[in-house]
Amino acid sequence: MNKTVYIIITIALVIGIGIVFLGGSKNNTETGGSVQNVEIRDGVQYVTVNAKGGYSPKVSTAKAGIPTKLIVKTDGTYDCSASLVIRSVGFQKILAQTGEEVIDLGTPKAGQPLQGLCGMGMYNFSVNFN
Amino acid sequence: MKTYTFHVSGTHCASCKIFIEDTLNEQGFIKNARVNLKRETVEIETDSDQAPEILTQILTEKIKSNGYRLSVEKSATEKQSNDVIWKAIPIGLGFLILFFLLQKSGILNLGIGGQTTPVTSFIIGLIASVSSCLAIVGGLVLSLSAKVSQDNVSDTKTFVLFHTGRLVSFAVLGGVLGVVGSAIGINFTFTAILGLLASTVMLLLGLNLVGVFAKNKVALPSEIFNFFRRIEHKTFTPLIIGFATFFLPCGFTQSMQVSALGSGSFISGLLIMLAFALGTLPMLVLLSFGSASFAHGKHAPLFFKSAGVVVIGLGLFALLAGLAGLGIINPLFNI
Repeated sequence: MNKTVYIIITIALVIGIGIVFLGGSKNNTETGGSVQNVEIRDGVQYVTVNAKGGYSPKVSTAKAGIPTKLIVKTDGTYDCSASLVIRSVGFQKILAQTGEEVIDLGTPKAGQPLQGLCGMGMYNFSVNFN
Repeated sequence: MKTYTFHVSGTHCASCKIFIEDTLNEQGFIKNARVNLKRETVEIETDSDQAPEILTQILTEKIKSNGYRLSVEKSATEKQSNDVIWKAIPIGLGFLILFFLLQKSGILNLGIGGQTTPVTSFIIGLIASVSSCLAIVGGLVLSLSAKVSQDNVSDTKTFVLFHTGRLVSFAVLGGVLGVVGSAIGINFTFTAILGLLASTVMLLLGLNLVGVFAKNKVALPSEIFNFFRRIEHKTFTPLIIGFATFFLPCGFTQSMQVSALGSGSFISGLLIMLAFALGTLPMLVLLSFGSASFAHGKHAPLFFKSAGVVVIGLGLFALLAGLAGLGIINPLFNI
């Protein structure tokens, strides 16, 4: 009888963990869509991502086919999001605790999203180009 | 001289076999004790005239504190340990949920601006010790501590050596970073691989603590356990593991390493890293000595299994994150 109770608690906890992992990231995506973080100045497209306790917005959408730079802003960031890895452009660096890192992305092609991760792999963000 | 065969419960590993045999052979009235891991029996030769029931009681007293029990009949402990695991899984999962909720809550993303001083790095150490860094460093400390306590290695000495090794190597390496001013140990691939290694160790130890190896009889070869047992007893092992935690992937540690790099002198680099390590110390000390005190207490089997569940969870998390960090798999989550 006891065993049944524990199994029920276990199932409830597993569902809880699922919500913690999956539910949270859905929220991030939603807020990501509403933030205006892409601007074009002097023919160069700038995509801004904040890095602190994760990256926001988690998903950005930018135009393909124009020279693009990624700006990663840190503000008293000591956690994993400061150690940034972007494999597709061969970028890996531990960012300054407070500051802006400008990363040249060249001229991105449509349909090739850019993915950034923190060194331990627990935070990530992506930029879609179309 | 008589020969008895008793059933023994709790023998899940080759090192248990060695421990039980050693302990039993120390008893004056026992001439020879041999544990059969597969059948979970121990065969003893004795010149004692005691009834077998009394003998099992006397001998159980000697090894009870380590979770082993002798009986004439195959005992009902099998069922009991099954119940323990059903208690342990929700307890372990509960701790995992609390941990991940804490990460999600954003409480840990305190802004600490300005210059990095030893005081700020101490505070960052405090934060780091309850952050996702805990997944790797804390998980490793928990699993190793529980294992060390379970194998009855002199745990206090081992833990003191580990924490000393950690503090000293953080201080010295921090100082070196301050002088050299270039990146040692900040190679992403290197730290990521070390992280994968650590999470594999955590998974293995976690499964071992939960007792999967014992249940399914997927015991690791006895040589490997003997090897572990030997290095567990070595003085330098905890020192080296303490040293290695400097290189484990942890955003906070890496940020501090960069601060130490930029600090420009041996002393300032040393102070930054030492203060950071001191900040992480309370939590890690709690984990190691806490597990030791549980391990010697009444609820030891429950503790080992719950710790195993926690360690498996953290190990999986660290493994998936590490693989994503290396670009081998797509990131599955964003904690």
